[in-house]
Amino acid sequence: MLSSIWAIFLKDLKSEIRTRYALNALLMFVVVTISMILFATAGEVMSGELLSGLLWVVIFFSAMSGLSRTFVSEEDRGTVIFLQLATRPSVVYFGKLLFNLVLIFGINFFVVIAYLLTMENFKVKSFDVFLSALILGGLGLASASTIIAAIIAKANTKGTLYPVLSFPVLLPLLITTINMTQLSIEGAKLAETFGHLRILFSYFVVVVIASYLLFDYIWKE
Amino acid sequence: MIWKFLLGVYIAIITILAFVIPIGFIPGLGERARIIFLHVPSAWLSVIAFFVAMIYAVRYLRSKNIYEDVKSAASAEIGFLFCFVTTVTGSIWAKFNWGSFWNWDPRETSIFVLLLIYGAYFVLRSAIEVEERKATLSAVYSIIAFVTVPFFIFIMPRIMPGLHPGSKGDPEGAGPVVTFKMDPNMRILFFASLLGFTLVYLWIFKLRSRMEILKIKIQNKIYQEV
Amino acid sequence: MGLYEFLEKNSIYLVLIIALIVWFSVFVYLVRVDVKLKKLEDEFAKLENKEEVGK
Repeated sequence: MLSSIWAIFLKDLKSEIRTRYALNALLMFVVVTISMILFATAGEVMSGELLSGLLWVVIFFSAMSGLSRTFVSEEDRGTVIFLQLATRPSVVYFGKLLFNLVLIFGINFFVVIAYLLTMENFKVKSFDVFLSALILGGLGLASASTIIAAIIAKANTKGTLYPVLSFPVLLPLLITTINMTQLSIEGAKLAETFGHLRILFSYFVVVVIASYLLFDYIWKE
Repeated sequence: MIWKFLLGVYIAIITILAFVIPIGFIPGLGERARIIFLHVPSAWLSVIAFFVAMIYAVRYLRSKNIYEDVKSAASAEIGFLFCFVTTVTGSIWAKFNWGSFWNWDPRETSIFVLLLIYGAYFVLRSAIEVEERKATLSAVYSIIAFVTVPFFIFIMPRIMPGLHPGSKGDPEGAGPVVTFKMDPNMRILFFASLLGFTLVYLWIFKLRSRMEILKIKIQNKIYQEV
Repeated sequence: MGLYEFLEKNSIYLVLIIALIVWFSVFVYLVRVDVKLKKLEDEFAKLENKEEVGK
């Protein structure tokens, strides 16, 4: 099973590297959003709390613009049937989840680099809190957006519905990560954010289990 | 039918009692605490209705019987209605007690998210035309959405400081809203009101699902004759 | 006139009356829907029965 998950992941990675559609679109999206924020707030002094909220706005919308790609492209190219013939649904799900995880960590990495370079007031005091927020937030973001991408790929309006459906499901995650990022700017210890870490981790586990159980029904639809 | 008229009278009596019953002195709230008879039952009922919607969604996925999907959607609609009632009453009340219509208290956030989730659910339902596909996808979405609801309803309001009773740092001690020291009158009337709300919910739910099922039957009939 | 003065002093009872009116209008609406639905269901059942006899 692990090898077939890996095969699905490699297949997605290869087709992504050939076209570089999602990657290019995502990078441009991040650049555009950050420069948009810079233009809109030119000359203003922004506090660290505000910037940590905006960071997650950028991450959320870039994720929304790229993560649905894995399922929608299968649907567009008509390759769903081959995948259905080739493997079990859960294998497909975990392969896509793995691909989305890699994609979201790529986005997070790029966004944070760009953010730290452009926003002068964004000074992270405790890096361990910040990093764990990014990693656990990325895990949760990928898990929820993968299953919703699978739903969206079967609906008629693929593009517009995706953020609408994902946002409420992702909100507990986003509120917690924004809170943690603010704490990391204030310089909180990792032990103080234990409650947040527990929420993020349990969110990830709960969503992955629910998606694993439900993915069969979407995939066979 | 006689039961329904009794229910009408029952709710009317509860409404009158909710205004006139002595509720004892509650520091910081006083007479404004009477909102508990309307606001809290409708909040509970909305969560219960969403829970019922999820149960019917699971049953649909198991049986693929379209009537289960109809019931799931009906329950979600009523839950949305109660959610809306909770938001509006709470918001008006907040203006007079906390000074503004909206404070982003954790519970206000969570009710707002519930509205968003089920708003998105109805959008999803309207975006898909094929009946079975609509039923399956919306069932999956409502289960996924309900799985994340406990984070809002039960976890976040407890660990974040807020204005509602039962929040973190509340001198009365944490816990569900009802266990803080209430006047016995108030507690009995609260549960009576909860019962009344539940019965009204069941009634509307029955009506709504019967209506939709009849609609499907008539449509099938038309298909047969054409 | 006594009632009017009473209500002017205790405006909470005016709220009570409005709440009751709201509940009764909801109630009457529900009962009407219930009655209409029952009628439609009966009609539909009759139609089904007739067809079965016809076959």
